[in-house]
Amino acid sequence: MIKSSIPLIIIFTLILVSSPIFGSGGPDYETVNFKGQKLSLKRDPLTRSPLIIRGVDSKLLEIRNFSKLSRKEITYTGPILVNKYKSLLQIASDQLKLKGAEKISDTWYVSYWQTFHGLIIYESSLGYAIDSSGCIKSLGALIYPNVKAPIASKVSHDEALKIGQSQIKDFKKLRCILLAESVLIYPVRKKNSIDFYRVYAFNFFPKEALHPASVVGGWAVFIDTQTAKKVLYEELLKPLGCCIPEDFVPPKPGELKPKWLN
Amino acid sequence: MVKLKFLMFIFIGLLVFPMAFSCEEKTGKSSLPKLGTSAIDFNCEDLKGRTWNLDKVRGKIVLLRFWADWCPYCRYEMPIIDKYYRILNKEGFLVLAVNVKQSAEVALAFTAQLDVTFPVPLDPDGKMARRYGVYAIPTNFLIDRQGIVQEILIGEVFRKEQVLKDLLQGYFSRRLGALEKSFPRRVA
Repeated sequence: MIKSSIPLIIIFTLILVSSPIFGSGGPDYETVNFKGQKLSLKRDPLTRSPLIIRGVDSKLLEIRNFSKLSRKEITYTGPILVNKYKSLLQIASDQLKLKGAEKISDTWYVSYWQTFHGLIIYESSLGYAIDSSGCIKSLGALIYPNVKAPIASKVSHDEALKIGQSQIKDFKKLRCILLAESVLIYPVRKKNSIDFYRVYAFNFFPKEALHPASVVGGWAVFIDTQTAKKVLYEELLKPLGCCIPEDFVPPKPGELKPKWLN
Repeated sequence: MVKLKFLMFIFIGLLVFPMAFSCEEKTGKSSLPKLGTSAIDFNCEDLKGRTWNLDKVRGKIVLLRFWADWCPYCRYEMPIIDKYYRILNKEGFLVLAVNVKQSAEVALAFTAQLDVTFPVPLDPDGKMARRYGVYAIPTNFLIDRQGIVQEILIGEVFRKEQVLKDLLQGYFSRRLGALEKSFPRRVA
């Protein structure tokens, strides 16, 4: 009995130890030949879209006369890149919306959201670095090739806002403020598929939280535009664009408009 | 029979073991650590599947950083931090850039876009950030070779590269001093 169980236990243990949760699952990169160009890819296990594309001994894109380009011209590189690798990325260049483009030292960092019928897909991204000679060697992306989501809302904004506010305990007592809102496509990753919700996204913060030195955070509440149901409720950390010096004395509430509000 | 029970005990232990692989802290603290005190221990796994805890990083100067990809201020500090990580890594400078409450896919795409090389542990439920008293991002803790918290920097402080350089100068003065002329300042 004991002897017969041992091999089974050993095999099962080996399977467990080699699973990704133990961190030895390997980097999961594959090498593909794309129109004669050797590329290294890491794919999203759910969508099979590339999370990372790297040129093997080659660049993804080389931009001529890069040093002469304006910031605006640099932001056009995303659509060019997407068109070049369209069959790999499986999205269209007109689905990109600029997230940011900034030069740090000699390198430009450019990033985009993916959109669906003009709406930003929550947490989607496609971005890359362009070195001083205009070369893009790799890109990182979290994109969704086949989005199936409603293209119109059934629930009104005001109704959704009321539902959103009702999710916050002591909303009035905390003097909560609606700091940001938008309509988004919210992908919910399940085991074998992704559900795409068209949502009203609300960010609420208590007035007290608006001061940079306050430790109070806020909440994100997403309400489904089709059913009026809450699909996300999450506590938010504050993004702080300014630093808080050690000798900082908090002024009276309402005296300052924090930088991160802009 | 006793042997079989013993083997089953080990087997169940192996099944339970992975639960320790999410970012988890070993103390019940919930406010910012005090300067000059021991850093709060943690146990987390990074994007490459490596596990990190205080014991593992002891002997290194650690910049423990909490960030999320939706925070624009977190974004543009990353290449600056990575630049110093590449220079000082072999001399004992370690950056642990903990992603708060996002998926591995989000963190992976983000770090690939910025081409950063330092480890990116995941804190999917925000537990580690809470235990460290993080209420805003980015928040950075500088932990010395003995595991003592020497600096806490809240907000976007490293956009001025000099701030990070000054911070590290005390620990890597010879290296940073020699490199001073080759450090280009950020171009607006």
